[in-house]
Amino acid sequence: MSVIDKSHPTHEWIEELRKRFPCEAEIDRVLTRKMHRRAGPPYTPVTLETLVQGTEALLRSEIKDGFEITEAKWLSGGASKLQMEFKLTWNQPGVGRTTIPLVLRMEPSESICETSRLREYQIIKAMEGVVPVPPAYWVDPEGKFLPYPAIVYGFAVGVTKPSGVSRNVSGVGTYIPPELRPILGSQFVEHYAKIHNFDWSKSKVLTAFDKPKPGTDAVALQLNWYERLWEEDANEDVPLMRLAMSWMRANMPPVDKVSVIHGDYRTGNFLYTEHDNKISSWLDWELAHMGDRHEDMAWTTSLTFGTMAEDGKTFLVGGFMPKDEFYAAYEKASGLTVDPKRLKFYDVFNTYKSANICLGTGSRVARSGKTHQDVLVAWLSGISYMVMNELRTQLEEVL
Amino acid sequence: MDLRPALQVQTAIKAMTDVILPAVDPENKLAQEQARLVIGMLNLVAQRQPLMYRYDRDELSRFLALAGTLQSQTKDLPGATKALHALANSVESGEDVLDRARAEPSELESANFELREKIGALITAIYSETETGKLKHISATVTAHAKEQLLRERSWLIGQGWESDPKSIPAIETLIGDGPAAR
Repeated sequence: MSVIDKSHPTHEWIEELRKRFPCEAEIDRVLTRKMHRRAGPPYTPVTLETLVQGTEALLRSEIKDGFEITEAKWLSGGASKLQMEFKLTWNQPGVGRTTIPLVLRMEPSESICETSRLREYQIIKAMEGVVPVPPAYWVDPEGKFLPYPAIVYGFAVGVTKPSGVSRNVSGVGTYIPPELRPILGSQFVEHYAKIHNFDWSKSKVLTAFDKPKPGTDAVALQLNWYERLWEEDANEDVPLMRLAMSWMRANMPPVDKVSVIHGDYRTGNFLYTEHDNKISSWLDWELAHMGDRHEDMAWTTSLTFGTMAEDGKTFLVGGFMPKDEFYAAYEKASGLTVDPKRLKFYDVFNTYKSANICLGTGSRVARSGKTHQDVLVAWLSGISYMVMNELRTQLEEVL
Repeated sequence: MDLRPALQVQTAIKAMTDVILPAVDPENKLAQEQARLVIGMLNLVAQRQPLMYRYDRDELSRFLALAGTLQSQTKDLPGATKALHALANSVESGEDVLDRARAEPSELESANFELREKIGALITAIYSETETGKLKHISATVTAHAKEQLLRERSWLIGQGWESDPKSIPAIETLIGDGPAAR
């Protein structure tokens, strides 16, 4: 077996990886913290009472007046975080004494998607007024008050899919009925354009994000992040993954305009209200970063996140519209171009990233017993081999 | 193959212990008892499954020893001839199996692990020094191997239901051969 025991990483090895794969400062902090905790105990079940007490402690540090938390209950959803729904009675600034529904979103000991709650909080704050987002109230970035880092959101109203339409566990591949496609699809494109055109340079809240320059800086940061992740987490190595990374390193496309990248922009990650068919919230910003819009575009237009039209032949991006129509609508709404060559690069990158997270990190965190649902994470890891087969076909096209 | 039974059983035990058992109705004694038995059974599998091959090999060696002793002790006794002939065939077959059953399953796993690691390091090393366009033959070798390997991994996990066209994936039994005895 390998001479490196990844379940008990040494300080020297952690530092070597940090040096070999320079990442954004906050990503480096999160990954390093993960590695320092790895040899520690596995995740142990947290009670609702513990979460309520931790949330109360967090709120006491933020709210001067009296408040009360009631009706706490577990909320399902997602493979990577624990979620608790609750009601808060407090003196809300500008509103007065009121009771509002909130959601606590907390990391487990190690997550299949190891990200920063601070970045999640900041990007939501930055996007307020740009696109619909749930209100983000408070953050515990280091797990000072709660067992692990956490964020408190306002409860977002709406549905991820039309009522009565079936979907699978991850919310991908949602079927959108034809009459809803133009209504939601136009908002889907319009919001996309707004995110990618957002002037992050003027934002004062995005302190946990590095600001790469145009060129290949942003691409290199992403490659470093995920190659480091593979080194830290993967159990068995996979030659194809090494080949993919080697090709990406040699073919980094320069970024013409550095944009905010959502990181998981797709149907299933927005809520809309059915009474007026308006998108009410964009969710799951944890993978947001600064980069090339083509990374988002390649992700959104992948086969995984769309559906086939009724003719059984036409692929609909996000379940809304054919690819060509989507690109044209995006270019019109954003004033930005869509470059097929860069899309190809990010097809490879996104597939590599998915395989990396599912197989490398998924099997590692489950093996170490680090999450609240290892059985789900281990189950989801099974998709890795199909994803890697997609990576193989993509590489055969470009190599 | 990273997703091995040991990991799957471990996660199932944790889910049963941390989430499911605490949620089982305390008044439903049958469900309580069987939930605990499932945990116990899975724990037994987790402990013993890695030793199963060694256990079988040990058992075979001791039965062969017993057979050898009995062959010499019973060869002149009345009524033994036919049974001894049948036993001799089984002893011959058993000795052949024992002779071939040398490596531990964990050694096979380790050998694969190390080869994966070293091949991965080789790929990273050569592609960092030479442009990809000049290494097309090596890229083709790696992707061709990946195609075959991934087919086996997808077939192994076919029961999970990820494949959009599961009928296009051959059964794992047809992909991994009939075992060393058939060679």
